Amino acid sequence: MADIAPDDERIEELNTLQAIYPEFTFEISNPLTAHIELLVAPVKPLPVTFEPEQQVERLPYLPPLHLDITLPPDYPANAPPSVKLTTTPSWLPEHVLDRLVEEVRAKWKEYGGMAVLFNYIDYLQEAAAMAFGLTEVSLPTSEKSDLLEYSSRMKREIFDKESFDCGICLEPKKGSACYRLERCSHVFCRACLQDFYNNCIREGDVDNVKCLAPGCGKTGNPAVDRRKKDRLLSPKELLQIPLSLDTVRRFANIKRKKKIEADSSIAFCPRSWCQGAMRTQKYPKITDVSQMDESDCEDDEPAELPVSTPAPEGPERRPAGVNGMDRLAVCEDCNLAFCRVCLASWHGDFVRCEPRNESQLTEEDQASLNFISKNTSPCPDCAVPCQKSFGCNHMICFQCKTHFCYLCAAWLNPDHPYQHFNDPKIKACFQRLFEMVEGDQPEGRFGGRRGAELEADFWEQEALRIQMEEEPEDAH
Amino acid sequence: MSTGAKKRIMREFGECQNDMPAGMKINFDEQNMTKWEVLMDGPDQSVYAGGHFKLEIAFPNEYPFKPPVVSFRTKIYHPNVSNDDKGSMCLGLLRPDEWKPPNKVVAVLRLIQTLLVEPNADDAIEPSIANEYRENRKEFEKNAKDWVKRYAK
Repeated sequence: MADIAPDDERIEELNTLQAIYPEFTFEISNPLTAHIELLVAPVKPLPVTFEPEQQVERLPYLPPLHLDITLPPDYPANAPPSVKLTTTPSWLPEHVLDRLVEEVRAKWKEYGGMAVLFNYIDYLQEAAAMAFGLTEVSLPTSEKSDLLEYSSRMKREIFDKESFDCGICLEPKKGSACYRLERCSHVFCRACLQDFYNNCIREGDVDNVKCLAPGCGKTGNPAVDRRKKDRLLSPKELLQIPLSLDTVRRFANIKRKKKIEADSSIAFCPRSWCQGAMRTQKYPKITDVSQMDESDCEDDEPAELPVSTPAPEGPERRPAGVNGMDRLAVCEDCNLAFCRVCLASWHGDFVRCEPRNESQLTEEDQASLNFISKNTSPCPDCAVPCQKSFGCNHMICFQCKTHFCYLCAAWLNPDHPYQHFNDPKIKACFQRLFEMVEGDQPEGRFGGRRGAELEADFWEQEALRIQMEEEPEDAH
Repeated sequence: MSTGAKKRIMREFGECQNDMPAGMKINFDEQNMTKWEVLMDGPDQSVYAGGHFKLEIAFPNEYPFKPPVVSFRTKIYHPNVSNDDKGSMCLGLLRPDEWKPPNKVVAVLRLIQTLLVEPNADDAIEPSIANEYRENRKEFEKNAKDWVKRYAK
C-alpha cells in the first residue's frame, strides 16, 4: 500500500481535531488510527442501581467513553470511518454502544462523503450530556467502588480547576484551596472556614458550626428555622475541610455534653474528681468521629417534651420517686456504681434513701455555685447561666433564644426588646442598653444583676486589706 | 487583628471607592484602618435632607466573623439610633446573631441610608420616637428637621 502523503485530506482532518481537542491523539500508520476519551457528565446525574443489593447511587460523572477511530484509505469519499466505542469498566449497555457506532455511518451518509469526525465527536458529546438517552442503568455491585471513586475524583478535579471568590476574605481562590459544603453547596476558602470553625469550637459555640452564607438554610418559616441544629456540619465533614482530629473530637464531645446536660433524667457521677455522666443508651459514647456523618447523631429530639421544663440546677434536684433498681446508675467514665437519688455509692435496691439536699454540697460545689450565681445572669426561661462577652444588654439566650435584659434578667418582648431600656419607671435599666458593650471584664466588673453585690464584696475585701495593713502600725 | 481581617478591610475599602452609594464619603486612615469615619448626606427624599451626618464604623478584632459597630457621631432624631452620646444602632445585619461574614460594609451603609428614608419603627431602639413616627408623623418630621438644623448643618 502506498505511504500516506502529508497533504492527505485525512491528515488535515486529524490535525484540525487535535487543535480543537488537546486530548485527541492519532498515529500516522496505515491505516490511520486515532483515539479520544470523552467525558461523560450527564446534565442530570444518572441513577445507577447496583445488583443484587438494589442500591441506587446518582452519579454526576461516569467513566469516560473511549473512541477508537480507524480511517480506511477510501475515507472520506468512498468509505465511512470505522469506529470502536468502549468504557472501562464497561458500564454502557451493548445496545447503546451499537446504536452510537451505527450513527457514524449515518452521519457520513448525511454529509455526502465529507470529513465527518468533528460532527461525530460533537454528536457523542451531546449524547453523553443526555446520558445517551438512558434514565437508569443496572450494574453488578463489584463495579460500585470503581464507579464511585471515579465520580468523586472527577468532581474534585473539575472543582479544583475552577476559581471562586471566597465570601469571607473576598479573595479569588482556586478551587483546590476551597471547600464546597455538602448540604447546601456554598463554597468558601478552606483557610476562612478553618479560621471560623476552629474559633467557634475553641469557644464552645458549637451551634454556629454551620454554613456562613447569608440566609442559608432559612426557609422563612420560623417553626422550621428554629430547628437550627439540623444545619450543623457533621464531624465527618469537618474532617474533610480539614479541621484537626482533636478539634473535631472536641466539637462532637461538646455537642453530646450539651444534650446530656439538658436532659434531666441523666445523673452525674458524685465523685468530685470525675463528674462523668451515668451510662445510657440514649447518648452513646463517641468512639470514631470520622464516621459521624450526620450533623446530629442524636437527631431524634424529644419534641414532645414541654419546652418550659426548667433545666436541673446543680446536683441537688434529682427525680424523686425513682425506686428499687431504677436508682442504680453507673458512671461512664470511672465505672462507679451509684444511687441517682442520694448520690451515694450503690447501697442495694432495698435501702430507703432521700435526695441529697443543698446543705450537703461539698465546699467546692458550693463555691462554684456561688461563683456562677454571682457572675452570670440566668435566662428567665430556661435558667441557663449566661455571661455577656460583647454587645448591648439586650440578650438572646444561646440555648433557648429567649430575649432578656442582662442587667436585671427580665424577659423582653422579642418584638419590642428595647422598650425595657427606655422606660423611666424601670429605674435599674433605664438608658443603660449600651453599658459595658465590651462585655464583662475579667478584673471583676460584671454587668449582670448581681454586679453591685460583687462590687460590694470587692470593696469589703479591700477595706479588710487596708485595715490589716494599718494594724501593725497601730501596734507601735 | 489578623492580617486576613486587615486585608479584607482594605479590599472592602477599595470596593467602596469604586462603587460608593451616592451621598457618602469615607475618611480612611491607613494607620488605623479599623475605624472608618463616614460622612453621609441626608437622602433628598427623607426628612434628613440637607443634613450632613458623621458616622463611625468600628471593626471588631474578630471581623468579619463579628459585625462592624456603627455609631452616629452627629445627633439624629431617629427611632433606630440611640438618643444619647453614643448614637448606637443595633438592628438587622448589625445584630451579632444576624450578621454573616459574607455581608459587607457597603451593605451596612446602604441599610443605614434606607433607614434614613424609611425608619423601621417595629425594630426601634427608641420606642418613644417610634411611637411618634407611627402616630404623629407630622410631629416626628418637625422634630427630625429641627435636629438636622441644630446638629447636622
